[in-house]
Amino acid sequence: MKFAWLCILFPFIGVLCIPLLAKINPKIRNAAAVFFPSLSALSSLMLLPYLFNPESLPMESSYVWLSSPFIIEFGVLVDPLSIILANVVAVISFLITVYSLGYMKGDPGLTRFWILVNLFIGSMLLLVLSNNLLFLFVGWKLVGLCSYGLIGYYYRDEEKYCIGGPPPTKFVTPTHCGLKALIVTGVGDLIMLGGFLIVFYYSGTLNLMQLYHTSSQWISEMSKTPGMIVLISILLLAGPIGKSAQFPLHEWLPEAMAGPGPVSALIHAATMVKSGVYLVARLIPLFYYGYWVSGSGEASAFFIITAWVGAITAFVAATQGAVALELKKVLAFSTVSQIGYMWIGLGMSGLSQSVLVSGTTSGIFHLVSHAVFKACLFLCAGSVIHAAHSIYINQMGAMRKYMKLTWIFMTIAALCLMGIPPLVGFWSKDAILLSTLEAHSIPIFIIAIITVVLTSFYTTRFIGMVFYGPKSEHVKHVTEKEGHIHEAYKTMWSTCGILSVIIIVFGIIGPRIEHLMTLAFRSSLTGSINLPISEGTAHPVNYHLLVAVLSISAVLMGAIPAFILYILRKGDPSKILKKSPFLQIIHQFFWRRWFIDSFYNAIFVKGTEKLASFVAHTLEDGWDTIIHRKLPDLITRRSYNILIRLRTETDDLLYNLGYILVVFIGLIAFIFFTFL
Amino acid sequence: MMSYLLLQTIIIPALVSLFILLTRHKLGKKAGWIAGFSLLYTTALLIYACFLAYNGAAITEEYPFVSMEITFDLLGDGLSLPVALIINMLCTALAFYSIHYVEHRIEAIYGHEDERTFLNLYTKFFSLFLGFPLGFMGVCFVKNLIAMYFFLEILPIPLYFIMAFFGYIDRVRVALICFMWAIVSAGFFLAGTLIIYYHTGSFDISEISILASHPMAFWAILLILIAILAKMAVVPFQVWMPWVHAEHPTCIAGLLAVYANIAAYVMVRVLVFPLTDDFRVFSIPLMILALITMVYGSLLTLAQTDVKRFAACSTISQLAYSLLGISALTIFSVEGGMFFFLGHIMGKTILFSTAGILVYVTGIRDMRQLGGLAQKMPVTTALWIMGALMLSGFPPMSSFPAEWIMFTGIFKSGINAMPLGLIIAIMGVSAIILTVAYTFRSVKIIFFGPVNPALEDEKIKDPPLSMRVPLLLVAAVSIILGIYPKLVLNLFHTVLGKLPNL
Repeated sequence: MKFAWLCILFPFIGVLCIPLLAKINPKIRNAAAVFFPSLSALSSLMLLPYLFNPESLPMESSYVWLSSPFIIEFGVLVDPLSIILANVVAVISFLITVYSLGYMKGDPGLTRFWILVNLFIGSMLLLVLSNNLLFLFVGWKLVGLCSYGLIGYYYRDEEKYCIGGPPPTKFVTPTHCGLKALIVTGVGDLIMLGGFLIVFYYSGTLNLMQLYHTSSQWISEMSKTPGMIVLISILLLAGPIGKSAQFPLHEWLPEAMAGPGPVSALIHAATMVKSGVYLVARLIPLFYYGYWVSGSGEASAFFIITAWVGAITAFVAATQGAVALELKKVLAFSTVSQIGYMWIGLGMSGLSQSVLVSGTTSGIFHLVSHAVFKACLFLCAGSVIHAAHSIYINQMGAMRKYMKLTWIFMTIAALCLMGIPPLVGFWSKDAILLSTLEAHSIPIFIIAIITVVLTSFYTTRFIGMVFYGPKSEHVKHVTEKEGHIHEAYKTMWSTCGILSVIIIVFGIIGPRIEHLMTLAFRSSLTGSINLPISEGTAHPVNYHLLVAVLSISAVLMGAIPAFILYILRKGDPSKILKKSPFLQIIHQFFWRRWFIDSFYNAIFVKGTEKLASFVAHTLEDGWDTIIHRKLPDLITRRSYNILIRLRTETDDLLYNLGYILVVFIGLIAFIFFTFL
Repeated sequence: MMSYLLLQTIIIPALVSLFILLTRHKLGKKAGWIAGFSLLYTTALLIYACFLAYNGAAITEEYPFVSMEITFDLLGDGLSLPVALIINMLCTALAFYSIHYVEHRIEAIYGHEDERTFLNLYTKFFSLFLGFPLGFMGVCFVKNLIAMYFFLEILPIPLYFIMAFFGYIDRVRVALICFMWAIVSAGFFLAGTLIIYYHTGSFDISEISILASHPMAFWAILLILIAILAKMAVVPFQVWMPWVHAEHPTCIAGLLAVYANIAAYVMVRVLVFPLTDDFRVFSIPLMILALITMVYGSLLTLAQTDVKRFAACSTISQLAYSLLGISALTIFSVEGGMFFFLGHIMGKTILFSTAGILVYVTGIRDMRQLGGLAQKMPVTTALWIMGALMLSGFPPMSSFPAEWIMFTGIFKSGINAMPLGLIIAIMGVSAIILTVAYTFRSVKIIFFGPVNPALEDEKIKDPPLSMRVPLLLVAAVSIILGIYPKLVLNLFHTVLGKLPNL
């Protein structure tokens, strides 16, 4: 248990040490900023053996934090879910801090960067290891805050750090993006807080294990109020929807790419955006119990919403990724889309008693694999952007000549994203597709397959545009002006290399990992939480084969045209686009992000501004005039001739004092005559 | 136990004020330090008193006054002591903060006067300033309604004069507006008090409960509520707040937030505590009013461009949170509401005072003319962000556990009064997003982005230590209470936990 505590504690110690060490020597500061996350990673690895022995789980350790007006404990919960998440967070965070040593070299705000990164790591670990909803929420809020600080890291809003464009598409500043992320995710957080509090009202506890164990009482109580479980499903899902950038709160993530490269990899791909997936997985047993044991039909809403939100998001984001030109934005859309897959998997887990374990496993397995390959993709993207001095993929081209290692690593990660066997992405995505089939959700299965086509299209497209084809004018300009474009620093490419190796190794042992996770989740869900599952959880063989064939066919359907257009360069995509008005409309629709962002901007941003202006200039000013101008005038002019005389004959001050006196005396007289 | 412990916290500011007034020319600029250190001493006394109360000993001091009815008995219990301690601490911090600020303000208003006139004004400020701790401590500790009325009436006096002497453009008119509102609301308070006296035969707060279930209890509560709502600037009584906060010298603007907020304490002490069941009829209407005020105040704040008016309008919205909590009438919401009140006054003190720093350093009040100041004023930026975090209820600030506990109670009450209560609760918790929006939007406008060219050449940097350190200490206290809320909540619980009807 102590490793779980240490895991959380180390990065927070780092937060306190970094500013002090910065005063001594920047090198010591940098070393400390990597050292503490490394200790966290080590501590989390020490928890891994428990996964092989899931019967000993869950383990809890806690201290009383608050005893009145109600008891709240500050504690950690070690179970399969938290062990997996803690390892993903701690290990990837450590690798990304190593990468940052090179990427952020010489940055003047490095102390701030390291403080925020360490604070983020600590908070994220608090989120996944906490044994109760309150401290989970503390971590939740803190990671959001760190994300805000790191997206707007380049707070001077210099032009080179703005994202968006190319003209006529407008640019947005990093601080604007940070604020947007904070507010959009904040909406979800607060609605979710409402959900937590309603759960607390019915259950009387915030402790996760107690919530599971007492669910028979409080869920039955809750289901007595019609609509309550549907309401609570919506409220509780709002937080994860915001944090994991799912439809309809997904619009903040593409803009979050304004932060430094490692931040995008760490927070907006590998870890923070997964916290929503984590929380949904945490909540599954509660609603599963409500639906399958308590017999409350309303509880199925939780799973249906989860699955459909995931499916819609996966598709919508993939279409946007297919037309985006900023490298990091392509990856951001891809992240949103891939998290949608995880949601599909988790949503499936409650729709059939036989899918509980496989659905949960598939969602979390994809979370792990995505964290690795997307972190690798983002870090490689950071190196490429660093070298090419451009954020646009159409301003790159032929980069493989200059950055061989980065090219190799990024290609491996990209193949993994597409779902090419035997890389880990193939296994995890297939697990999700399989669970949709098992739950007989054919519409969602179809959407997921179409999204596979889109995923392989946009992945091949960006790899082709970045590394293949002729040099763009921009690359020529950079090589002429600033000399040779060179490979990234050693700390940077070596991190990408390690992640690629993990992708390959995890790919080779993918089925074994899935099996291990299945056993762990089965033990946790049916053992300690005691949920009933139906027999026949073994997958029918024909489903396995069907899914593999369909998924590989879908990958090829997307990859082949993109390969011809962007790698072989046979045909000009822009000419094809010009020829077809239909394609142009579709392209514009996707480029403008389905007009969702513009719609939100018009309704929520401009609408609130207009409402605020109405309140301030019409309501408030009007009421102020009535109370502070008209009313005194009325009283003085119409009713009190003496006061008029006072005002005209003497100065303003006396007039006012007289006014006060009369009001006061009148009031006292009124009270005495009325009540006494 | 130390003798006259509570009395000292009231008398010492009064005596020091008198001392500064009498020896103003000899004291000169030392007046600020003397005021600050005297308050530091009373803060230390209050920490000791809190320590005693934490161990279960409420402090009662009895002093004869006019008659048996109007006494000057003081009570330091788990409710009054933490409130008094935080308020006194803020007074202390602002006394030190004012040392430089007032100097600047006098020069700005009166130009370079001769030494004597300058010292006259300078010492006058601190002499008047001490009226605040005097009034606040009185309101917190007295056991008698008339004495409470007396101290509530004392507060507008230093407020009036400080504003009229040291305020901004329209200061005399606004000082009068503020005075008028204070007197009118005090009038209502007095009316309610008299009804209580008429029916209970006593002014003692502990005997108000005799009025419980009496038909006149409704009217007494209503009248006192009007006074409280006017003081808390709840819609439709909010119009005075933006004016008053905007025209005040910024060094006391934090205390103005306390001045408005202390009504929440009065509400709990005088109405909720003794007349819980009679108060219940007001619960839902007050919650609706609070919700309207939260949204209205936030929208009003979003539209502001003046840094001082910005902070003022935000007070309207923030006070309504405490009102929502208290009027939900559950033990969680009342304790949380009171804790939120403490978190808010700390946050608001930091935010207002940082607004003061901006005006002090740049001479500009319009946010749109600022911009990019984080590069030049990192500590000020950090302070403003901490203020924003406090108002928005982010961990590790004290307002986070406060908000959580308060909303736990609000939801409890809301679910019991479904569907309207639940709608209010959900809308209330969602409305916090407006606070996040306006606070962090202001951070962006004022501190981020490129530096406004007009500010480029000037020597713009963080203010002197005496202005920064007190605010950083207030932030530290908020963080400590956020990490370890037991310190305050256990104290509150010793009093509020005994209420059977909550």
